[in-house]
Amino acid sequence: MPEGSILIVDDDAFVRTLLRDMLSPRGYALAEAENGRAALALAGPPPNLVLLDLLMPQMSGMEALGQIRDRWPSARVLVITSMDSERLLEEAMEAGAAGYITKPFHPMEIASAVEKALAA
Amino acid sequence: MAEYWIGDSEGRVLGPVSLDVVQDLVNTGRLTQITRASRDGQSWGPPNLYPEVMTLLLNAPAPEALLQSERQEAARVREQLRAMQGRPPHEIFRLERNASVDAYRNAFFKLVKRFYPDRVRAQAHADLRKAYADAFQFLSRLMVHIERELDAGGPIRPLPTIRAVPPPPPLDEDEPLTPTALTPLMKTRPMVVVPRSATPPSRPVPGGPSHQGRYSYQPHEFVGFERRDDRVEVTVRVTARNSGMFTEHPLANLKQGGVFLACGKSLPLGTLVDVVFRFDNERREVRSRGRVIVENSGGDPSKPHGFGVRFITLVEQDRSFMQQFVERAAAQS
Repeated sequence: MPEGSILIVDDDAFVRTLLRDMLSPRGYALAEAENGRAALALAGPPPNLVLLDLLMPQMSGMEALGQIRDRWPSARVLVITSMDSERLLEEAMEAGAAGYITKPFHPMEIASAVEKALAA
Repeated sequence: MAEYWIGDSEGRVLGPVSLDVVQDLVNTGRLTQITRASRDGQSWGPPNLYPEVMTLLLNAPAPEALLQSERQEAARVREQLRAMQGRPPHEIFRLERNASVDAYRNAFFKLVKRFYPDRVRAQAHADLRKAYADAFQFLSRLMVHIERELDAGGPIRPLPTIRAVPPPPPLDEDEPLTPTALTPLMKTRPMVVVPRSATPPSRPVPGGPSHQGRYSYQPHEFVGFERRDDRVEVTVRVTARNSGMFTEHPLANLKQGGVFLACGKSLPLGTLVDVVFRFDNERREVRSRGRVIVENSGGDPSKPHGFGVRFITLVEQDRSFMQQFVERAAAQS
């Protein structure tokens, strides 16, 4: 994937479509996966950024987070979740997430968070 | 630290997380349907095999206690709102007086989501619903005001007095929600809607032409929230006159695999909906299951009231029939 590549991992097809619609006009190269296992099965160069849901079938976001950090150490991971428990988000950050966005999110918020994460 | 994996009725998994996280999610109602658990993510069993998890579930607040605590929470939110209304914007968002619009936006997003209307469970105390809606509206209008003031070169003047926006009506006036009982998962509640045209009434965009096409920070512009504790059945009579429900909304339309039901009622984002379309003139009925992806319960007067559904199950034959119906209706008009 080129510079500015983003992998969207969410089991909700609508959320994936929505994120794609928000981010593709900004010129990012986008890929999608419906759970952690599918994300890690993707071939090709590592993404610059992973937008990762936490509650998913087959492999949860927390499990995927650890493996993504091992497999693609340069990739930054932003957790996206509707379960805005402070404890959960703390544990996600301890597991290697660069930040988080809680659902529901606003398009402008996503754009800003992605820009910041890619610039860091 | 002990680690747990938990699974819900939809096959989704969360973990590894600490028991503290599970407790937090259970007590706040964000995790109500734990159907299995694991200590290693490999071998799974029902929650009753894990006494510590069961204890959390059994100790989850009772409906009566939840209502009581929601009433108290509503009083706290109203108090917070009163406090915010009397303070300058930069203090509300804990920023420097000369903060940039980006800093205001970031702070706004963090704060406003605490009051997002759909965070309140479907059976929550009415006071809490109203308190959340009022706080959300106040902050949304304040953010739009801040953007205008900064666009104009600042400084940010006090926000003109804001009239509180009434909360949305109950889902179904004929069948009020029972405040003392939690709705079981997948409970179906009937709802009949007669959609109007989805085209919003033409009226000036608030803030004038310079604000056209901007975000307004209304609840429907926030997306991606999941609620999985409710299901509603909606019956819709479709005629050539209201066939615009399939075409007029930019997100919820037949080409995108959805429909927008412009009506006086709204449903929270993420609500699972069984839609029954009755094409009386064609003597045909189409059933589909979907999820609410957009809603407007009156917060944004420039857009139609109602809710948009994205179909999860719609057989190709039915989709094709509806597409042909729409084309015939367009040709007739």
